[in-house]
Amino acid sequence: MATKRQRFLRILIPYFYLSPSIIFLILFTYWPVINSVYLSLFRHSVLNPIPIFTWLGNYESILKEEIFPTVLKNTLIYAIGTIPFTMFLAFSLAVLINEKIGWLRNIYRVSMFYPTMIPMAAAGMLAVWLFNPGIGLVNYYLGKLGLKGPQWLYSMEWALPAIMITAIWKNFGYFMILFLAGLQNINKELYESSELEGAGFFQKLRFITIPLLGPTTVFVIIVGVITSFQVFDLVHIMTQGGPADQTNVIVYFIYQYAFRFWDIGKASALTVLFLIGLLTFIIMLVRNIERKVHYEV
Amino acid sequence: MKKSKLALFILLFIFSFSLTFAGGKPEAEKQAPKLVRLTFYYPVGVAGPLARVINTYVEEFNNTNKGIEVVPVYSGDYDPTMQKVQTAVMGGNPPDIFIVEISELPTLLAMNAIEPLSKYATKEYLADFFPAFLENSYDEKGEIWGIPFQRSTPVFYWNKEHFKEAGLDPNKPPKTWQELKEYAKKLNQPGRFGVTISGGWNDWLFEAFCRQNGIELISYLKRKININDAKAIEALEFWVDLTHKEKVAPPHSTWASTPPDFVAGKTSMLYHSTGILSFLKNSAKFEFGVGFMPANVSYGAEVGGGNLHIGKGIPEANKQAAWKFIEFLTTPQMAARWSRDSGYVAVRMSSYDLPEMKEHTTKHPEYLVAKEQLKYAHGKMMTPVFQKVREILKTALDEATAGKIEPKAALDRAQKQTEQLLADWLKK
Repeated sequence: MATKRQRFLRILIPYFYLSPSIIFLILFTYWPVINSVYLSLFRHSVLNPIPIFTWLGNYESILKEEIFPTVLKNTLIYAIGTIPFTMFLAFSLAVLINEKIGWLRNIYRVSMFYPTMIPMAAAGMLAVWLFNPGIGLVNYYLGKLGLKGPQWLYSMEWALPAIMITAIWKNFGYFMILFLAGLQNINKELYESSELEGAGFFQKLRFITIPLLGPTTVFVIIVGVITSFQVFDLVHIMTQGGPADQTNVIVYFIYQYAFRFWDIGKASALTVLFLIGLLTFIIMLVRNIERKVHYEV
Repeated sequence: MKKSKLALFILLFIFSFSLTFAGGKPEAEKQAPKLVRLTFYYPVGVAGPLARVINTYVEEFNNTNKGIEVVPVYSGDYDPTMQKVQTAVMGGNPPDIFIVEISELPTLLAMNAIEPLSKYATKEYLADFFPAFLENSYDEKGEIWGIPFQRSTPVFYWNKEHFKEAGLDPNKPPKTWQELKEYAKKLNQPGRFGVTISGGWNDWLFEAFCRQNGIELISYLKRKININDAKAIEALEFWVDLTHKEKVAPPHSTWASTPPDFVAGKTSMLYHSTGILSFLKNSAKFEFGVGFMPANVSYGAEVGGGNLHIGKGIPEANKQAAWKFIEFLTTPQMAARWSRDSGYVAVRMSSYDLPEMKEHTTKHPEYLVAKEQLKYAHGKMMTPVFQKVREILKTALDEATAGKIEPKAALDRAQKQTEQLLADWLKK
């Protein structure tokens, strides 16, 4: 008698428990995504207040946009320039800090994690003054070393590197903590037995630490790719995309179209392109890397 | 079984609740309209102290006008303010009063975001405003849509000590472009630029150079784009001379960082808004001068800053009250007070005849420079989607000053891009 109802409930109850997050996901993630796809098919801007259906007209005009290649190039340079550096720095420091170095360990950990705790906007403002070519500390110390510092934010070539350096400094602490957590999960017995076999520091690193950190590394890479493709705050605060669009990245470009030029159609089309691009990239990445990762400890 | 019913009930409840949020408009109209409450969005270029000043004005207005309550909302810089206004307008809930950058007028009109003001603004009232400040208030048909409030022009600053070192008369700033170039060459040193034409709003400064060369970059009333006019190209060539050929000016810089550069002696001469005058006075440890921007064909400048607007479609009582507030903010006394508090130019001519203003300007005559320069000043360029036009122009300027592209090619491209962007508007 009750079996049917019970079975029904067994199926339904989990959905009920999930409903709060599902509702938020639908309202604030899935619905906006679907709606962007819809909006991207219309010409709709300040100059065309009444939406006109144009099929792929917006996509076409984005591809024709003269600065679009620059924006893509900047985004890629940013990603390629920051992810490996941040990961390398985070990994090395995590390994070092994981060594038994006595009571100093906690001080080191906190001091390396602190850039992560600074709000992004504050970090950006700090960097604006640090990288000021005339009165900034960066060029002051470069000068002490006998080097002539570049014009940083005042130049087309060095503005993006300045933002990248700031991002690396800002983000490595977070990745370091992730790596550190991974390191702590590695079974100590493995190290002990390898030491008995006469393995040195680098051999342990090569044959135990790195392989067993595989899952963490995959996670860090994915988070790294997503955050670096989404960079906005530092650009907005430090350069507003300038000089001459040399620091304009994809999310900032979308922001400009949506909230400054108020071209809803193009902004939506850009968002859709961005979403598809990022999604394919992540799927490809995961498929390629996952195969090489050991999940057993 | 009971549990399951409860669960279903809660589920339904949550769904209906979220639906009310998503779709239903709460039709709770203001039931007790005794008190007219107005939201007032305002940006200030300099955060902190000036925001407090505005809040004081609002408080005074609220205390003397029973039945009206203005709620001031500090909305950041000009860009975020415009974004907040636009989203509010699109959501059908515009702010009652707001200040945005003056070049946004055509965009506001295209969005149908503001009320016409000719009903309220009398001829006598408007006659006392500096005419250059009013140029960005009218549409093509002569209707008035905005009232000047925080208004400025770019001016020219020079470091008198550097002038002395270089053997120049510290009380004689360059009067022409030619002199500017010569002086900059003399003042330039390793680690110090002769002159800095501030970036960030360099489109605004470029417009001033174009005026000095006798060309209006964009004519709103004639719907004409003159970005690649020979005279504009000549102005950009002059910039490129300074930045790329002679290397006496930085090719790029940011709006916020050049005043500290000047204070630190990293540049001897500076083009910037009159709005930084108080900052320089408080921070510079050397004597500096404030003057007109050097002339070429003539002196020339553009006005800048923000106008007061009334949001479209607000209730009649709110409109009346909003206008009362605008009048309050723009009396000669208040305009003079705002000018003293902020460093902006007072928008009313009679403000400068008030005894307290006379006292102030005799003590600090440098505050009069921007006001005197108004004789040579014009309205700021404006078009619909002006922010995009700005980006196009800035990219052209930045690439040219870095020597990446010839001035003519840069401006030809910017002209083409702008014409494409505004094709529909230009046709009409």
